[in-house]
Formats: sequence, structure tokens, C-alpha cells
Amino acid sequence: MSTSVSEPQAAQAIRITDVCKSYGDYPVLKNINAEVVRGEVVVICGPSGSGKSTLIRTVNRLEEINSGGISFEGQDIHAPMRSSELNKLRSRIGFVFQSFNLFPHLSVVDNVSLSPIRVKGVPANVAHEKALKLLDRVGLADKANSYPGQLSGGQQQRVAIARALAMEPPVMLFDEPTSALDPEMVGEVLSVMKSLAAEGMTMLCVTHEMGFARDVADRIWFIDAGEILETAPPEEFFKNPRHPRAQRFLADLRH
Amino acid sequence: MIHDFLTIIQDYWLLLLIGQYPNGPLGGLANTLILSALAIALAFPVSILMALARLSTWRLLRWPMTALVYVTRGVPLLMLILWCYFVIPLWTGADVPSFLIMLVTLVIYQGAFLSEVVRAGIVSLGQGQMDAARALGHGYMGAMRFIILPQALYNMIPSMISTFVSTIKDTTLGYVINVPDLTFAASQVNNQLLTQPFQVFLILAVVYYILCWSLTYVANSVERRIARRRAGPRNARLPAEATPLKTITEQL
Repeated sequence: MSTSVSEPQAAQAIRITDVCKSYGDYPVLKNINAEVVRGEVVVICGPSGSGKSTLIRTVNRLEEINSGGISFEGQDIHAPMRSSELNKLRSRIGFVFQSFNLFPHLSVVDNVSLSPIRVKGVPANVAHEKALKLLDRVGLADKANSYPGQLSGGQQQRVAIARALAMEPPVMLFDEPTSALDPEMVGEVLSVMKSLAAEGMTMLCVTHEMGFARDVADRIWFIDAGEILETAPPEEFFKNPRHPRAQRFLADLRH
Repeated sequence: MIHDFLTIIQDYWLLLLIGQYPNGPLGGLANTLILSALAIALAFPVSILMALARLSTWRLLRWPMTALVYVTRGVPLLMLILWCYFVIPLWTGADVPSFLIMLVTLVIYQGAFLSEVVRAGIVSLGQGQMDAARALGHGYMGAMRFIILPQALYNMIPSMISTFVSTIKDTTLGYVINVPDLTFAASQVNNQLLTQPFQVFLILAVVYYILCWSLTYVANSVERRIARRRAGPRNARLPAEATPLKTITEQL
């Protein structure tokens, strides 16, 4: 997919324009406008029920929106299109779930190599080799032949990250990747995410890990009641939050 | 008493085994096995298609299939058999063999029941697996084939065995439309002996019991083998190796 005639918008990975979504009468996302620049790490934070997860799930169209548009590398994800086209777009957006969602009937290495083989048509032996490399990268090379049920939560989430990376996506989305983990396993997942960020991966993360946000994020989006109330670099956001709701949120966190 | 059984078996084993064959149509146990095997082998894929149709977002597919499943579940199998037996020749004008009518009826009937089992298996997996498959770029069919169905069908093995077993037992109803199966052969034997219905039909019951029991046995060992493979390499000796097995055995 080499860039065709389109203008040099190369810096933009994701652009969210006027996105509104509601469940019945209840608005979940109100006129969201934001963008993620290539190579940037953005952390979405905000109180629970604020629409963070819904927002990140609209980016690869796991959730539909009511109006607005979300472009990924210049293509509108929510435009009417054939499902095969949407699948192709989705395959280029890595997604990591809160609940891992590994495929329990497949071994770890098959979890990682299934989609490259079946979606991208990569030959099985090549995909397997690649999967083993990725597993090595997340520190789980010795678990390649285990099944998800035999792994700890932290290990499962690292496999899930490897599985997403196997599709070689230019962008990775993380939907509360550490929220379902026991505290002692949060670190191993965050360190994988940190190393990804250090390699220049474009990342959009919903997380409650404020330490991660402070150390790794280039920008924070603070969202409440379906609105982005503030976007700022972390040092600014954590020192001098401008919006009163953000001030209250951070004050509550310190307790 | 035992002597009676042995005599019956000795005198009529060939009739019970293959019916009138080769002087007449194939019947007896052989025909029961063929009918059961075909009915199960056809009802299984049919049920998956029916389940997918019932889960479809496309109303044109979902509504008629839902209606079919409801009607089929709400009508006794015997009615369905008689209905097919009298109506199909009227429609087609052809002399459809009763074996074929029985097979079609069984496939529709058991397919409908099995489709509810399959549907339950798919729905009970939850949205997460489909979400993950979609996020990786799998299409609907690909996700079903590689991710959803392998899990849904595996989880539903106990319920599917029950349906398969009842398919075998339901082949006996072919008796009413003269399908030459094991029940038909047994009643022929009974008609010739006249005085030993208890012995004849006990033999019949034992044969059906062995048949159904072996199917359950085979299915269970397949299930156990899958569980063991998922629990990891055989020498790993993980506690996980024992746990799923235990739960599964207790369910049955």
C-alpha cells in the first residue's frame, strides 16, 4: 500500500474528527477531536465510565460511531466499505485487550502466528519463526508450546502483545492492558510497552498507570463524560492541570 | 432362560445383522449403523450452518431458520416422519425409499436440536474472542473457522454426544415407515417366534445400549485426548493436566 497521490500528511497516524457516539439517548462520546502523530505515545486517562475504552475501540471500528470520522493513515475507518477492506485496515492496527483474549485452544506460538498465516498469507514456517522471535522479545521464548491456560496473567498479556505485533502494525492500541493483572505482574507488561515506545512505535493507550503515563507518554488526553477536556504533555498535565475536572482527578489519585 | 437367548441369537443372528440381504434389502444392525452414521455425519454440518444462520444479522436468513428450528422442536419426531413419508411422494411424485425419507427427517430434526447446541456454544464464548479475531483482521468466516467454532464445538462435546446418541435411538422410529433396520428385524423375529417377546426385545435393547455406549466412550476419549494436549506436553505433569479432565468427567 504505497502512498498514492495523497498530500504529505505523513506525520499523522490517527486523526479523530468530530466523533459522536451514543447508546440510545445516552451520549458516550461528544464531539471528539484529536490526533496521534506518527511515533507518538498518547495515554488516554480519565475516571471510569468516561468513554476511554469506547473511544479506543472506535479507532479500529470494534465500536461504530454515530457521526464524525476517524482516519488511519489517511483512510477513513468508519467510511462505508466492504468488510474485506475493513479487515485489511484492522489487520494494520494492533489491539491489546484488558482481558487478553488469547485463543485458548491454540498454543502460544500458534496464537501469535495464526493471523499472519490466515490473514496475510505468510507461509507457516516463516510465520512460526517470526512468532518465536516476537516471543523472545517479550521474554516468553520458553513458553512457545504452552497453552494460554498455563500462563500467568502477565505472561498472557505479553503473548497478546506479541500476537498483535506479529501483524506488523504501524500503530498499537492498548485498552487498559494492565487492569486485569495482579499488581506484581503489571511491571512486566509495562516494560514490554516501554520498550515498544522506545523503538518508536506509535501507541495509543488507555491506562490507569500514571507512572507509565509520566515516563513514557508524549501526550496525555484527559477525558471525562465523553469529552476530551485536556491534552497536554505529561510533565505539564501532572504539574499544572488546567481543567478543574483534571485537577480533581489527579487529586483523587494521590489519596 | 439364557438358553432361549442363545437359541434366538443362534437362529436369527444373520437376520438381525443384515436383514434379508442379499435376497432382499440390506437391513438389521448394518442398516441401523449406516442410517445412524449418515444421519450424524449430515446433521452435524447442517447444524453448524443452521446455527450460523440463526446468529446471522441478515433477517432473510435468520427468520426462516428460527421458524424451522421452533417448528421442528415443537413437533414430535414421529409426526415429522409420518408427514415426510406421506407428503414427499405427493410432492415429488416419485417412489422415495423409506430409508431416504427417514434419513432426511433425522437430519432436519437432529440438525435443529444440534444447531441449538452449537449456537449455545458460540454464544457462551462471549464477545472477546470475536473482538480479538476481528482486531487481527480476520473476516467473519475466518474467525468462525479458526477461532470460534473449534472452541465452541469442543466445549459442546458432551451435549453433542447426547444428541448423537439420541439420533441412534431415533432410528428405531423408522420402524413405522418400514425402514428395514435392527428394530424391524427384531420384530420380524418376534413375529416368527410369537412366544418370546421379552427375550427378543431384551436382545434388541442390549445391542442399542452397546452401540450408544461405544459412541459415548469414543467421544469421551477424543475429548480427553484434546484436554491432555492442551494441558501441555505429557511429561510436564502440570496440575492443569488433571483439572479440566476431572471437571469434564464429572459433567458426563
